[in-house]
Amino acid sequence: MKSFSDHRLFLILIAGLIVFLIISCKKSDDPEPLPSGYEPTPYEIDIPFGFPTKLNIPEDNPMTVEGLELGRYLFYDGRISGRTHPDSMMSCATCHIQENSFECGINHPKYTGGYTFGVTGIPTHHVMLPLMNLVWNHTGYLWNGKVNPNNPDPKFRNIEDLVWMGIVAPHEMNSDTNKAKAVIQNTPGYPELFKKAFGSDQVTVKNMSKAIAQFIRTLISANSKFDKFMRGEVQLTGSELNGYVLFTTEEGADCFHCHGAAGNPLFTTHLYYNNGKDSVFNDPLDRYSITGDPNDKGAYKATTLRNIEYTAPYMHDGRFKTLEEVVEFYSHHLVWSPQIDPLMHHIANGGTQLTAQEKADLIAFIKTLRDEEFIANPEFSKPEKFPDE
Amino acid sequence: MKKLFPYLLIVVILLVLSSCKKESEESNDIEPTGKISLHFRHYVDGKDLVIDTLMYFNEAGNQYLINEIQYFISDLTLHRSNGKDILIRAWKDIHYIDTDLPSTHYWDIPDEIPAGVYDSISFIFGISQEKNQSFMFVNPPESFMFWPEYLGGGYHYMKLNGKWDNQDEIVEPFDFHLGIGQILDTAGQIVGFVHNDFKVGFPDLAFSISENQVLDFTLTMNIERWFKDPHLYDHDIWGGYIMQNQEAMKIASENGWNVFDMEVTK
Ligand code: HEC
Ligand code: HEC
Repeated sequence: MKSFSDHRLFLILIAGLIVFLIISCKKSDDPEPLPSGYEPTPYEIDIPFGFPTKLNIPEDNPMTVEGLELGRYLFYDGRISGRTHPDSMMSCATCHIQENSFECGINHPKYTGGYTFGVTGIPTHHVMLPLMNLVWNHTGYLWNGKVNPNNPDPKFRNIEDLVWMGIVAPHEMNSDTNKAKAVIQNTPGYPELFKKAFGSDQVTVKNMSKAIAQFIRTLISANSKFDKFMRGEVQLTGSELNGYVLFTTEEGADCFHCHGAAGNPLFTTHLYYNNGKDSVFNDPLDRYSITGDPNDKGAYKATTLRNIEYTAPYMHDGRFKTLEEVVEFYSHHLVWSPQIDPLMHHIANGGTQLTAQEKADLIAFIKTLRDEEFIANPEFSKPEKFPDE
Repeated sequence: MKKLFPYLLIVVILLVLSSCKKESEESNDIEPTGKISLHFRHYVDGKDLVIDTLMYFNEAGNQYLINEIQYFISDLTLHRSNGKDILIRAWKDIHYIDTDLPSTHYWDIPDEIPAGVYDSISFIFGISQEKNQSFMFVNPPESFMFWPEYLGGGYHYMKLNGKWDNQDEIVEPFDFHLGIGQILDTAGQIVGFVHNDFKVGFPDLAFSISENQVLDFTLTMNIERWFKDPHLYDHDIWGGYIMQNQEAMKIASENGWNVFDMEVTK
């Protein structure tokens, strides 16, 4: 009898061990328990035809329907500047305006000629960059790429970081994050939205940043005439096709190595080049200021040419007012310097020497990158009401 | 019977334990296998490439610098005397190398390769005609290598970007880009395409792979040889860009046969 119960005990122990082993064998990817009432709906980005499948979405900020809904409010709400007086409020959308592909545009009533400045009048270092297709940028944000995944300072790595930067920058909101937090916390409606998005009604700058970054990652432009052409839905005109051939040939206008084409539908590499505008470089915030490599003097990020019609003035300093001026520059007025990028191989002739007809064709092609749906998309526009209205 | 039961249980435990192990090692092929890996390095005149420095002279006498090199190798094949060649990862075997991206300088090849003696190794420089299809890479950096449709499509085999001190004493950019070439009629219209990819073989590189070994190879690109043998390549003659110059690309690909050295890493 005794021996039998011993035996049973042994069996039970063994069986327990097996169960334990099977369980411990399973991958432990079960999510951590969520705070109650926190069930955000995952949001998936649809990859447009031909676009990259790798997205720059940080692991600690997955996209959710609730997160980006909150982000959209905050993007448009001037109270994130920590102020409530209409004259001193500023939001991201004060400068980043949808109808100009999220730049302020060259005809802005206040930012004359497209030159932005902060609430106290301090000008931004450079002209604007559009907010579009940024979820595919893995290389770096801002003209010089200061905000990038390899920045040793974790405060400057992704779109999230441009939120607190915008709040405190003297040339933007010139505020402080505590004020911003307090004003949003005390605005009825917001705490609940934070709770739905992040599980806590405590407003934090971190969660504000996450929400706005999520919204920005949804700003996708992929329905221009050129996209429709690639999908076989429309035909380009003779002039546009001619322009496309020029755009993608070395002996033509030679734009594709830096600004993409069908094979790189972002129409940028998000990399940095000196494209031959000057021979003396004294901008303290060029690419050189980030890398310390003297070959990077005068280099900036090649911007996307999508929606470029809406985003004059052009180049980091806004020196060109029209696309005609830009094409004139690439065609005849390149300036040699030791830093000129090797891809600017027409430099010895001062440019690609396009004829008047070729210039017109090239511009006709560039204009096929205009996406009217993007600038009118109601999902990207200012919400009809803010949470407290 | 009762006595046997505990032993049976122990067997079950062992089974459970062993099934816990990585699921990837599922095949119980009896054939012993090893693996290979590749290191890539870039030399000029026998020494590690120093970028962005005007310090090299090619055979034609051009003083030049190299800024960056980006290229594909594909169809890596191990040859055996019994004729049973091993093609690395049939379709996915297109490897991208970029002097700016250290992560591309090492290729850890996942294939299980039968142990044994091999006579030689070879690869295609660039991408072979059947595989060089537009839009097969959607993600950077590979997608940035696209070769415009109008010029034949697919991808650049290589972008080798640098500058040389030209006849007018200006340090001028050159883009030594290889890919599909065009055949023009007398009116300058494109009437056909030429695939300039070529095979690089190392007939003298016999080696053996033993069971569970990872045999590491080093592939060295000797950059100066692109401009040398059998054809002298003079930047003053060919200028800064050759994607629409089949004559120049032909010379480049004919010079490519001995640009590479390969050895078993010591
Ligand atoms: C005063 C006008 C202004 C305001 C307000 C502003 N921005 Fe900007 N934004 C700019 C300018 C100018 C740049 C380009 C700066 C540079 O690179 O030097 C820029 C660049 C950016 C970029 C980088 C885009 C890229 O492609 O690299 C992001 C992202 C961005 N802003 C997000 C925001 C967010 C989020 C807010 C609100 C918290 C905001 N901005 C508020 C003017 C503004
Ligand atoms: C060597 C790479 C390179 C090539 C080739 C090149 N670009 Fe650019 N492009 C750049 C860079 C870098 C900038 C940003 C420079 C700056 O802001 O100072 C730029 C800026 C622009 C802008 C202004 C963008 C903006 O948002 O302000 C336009 C328009 C443009 N390029 C069009 C073209 C066209 C058209 C061609 C062919 C004729 C071309 N580019 C060829 C690198 C290049």
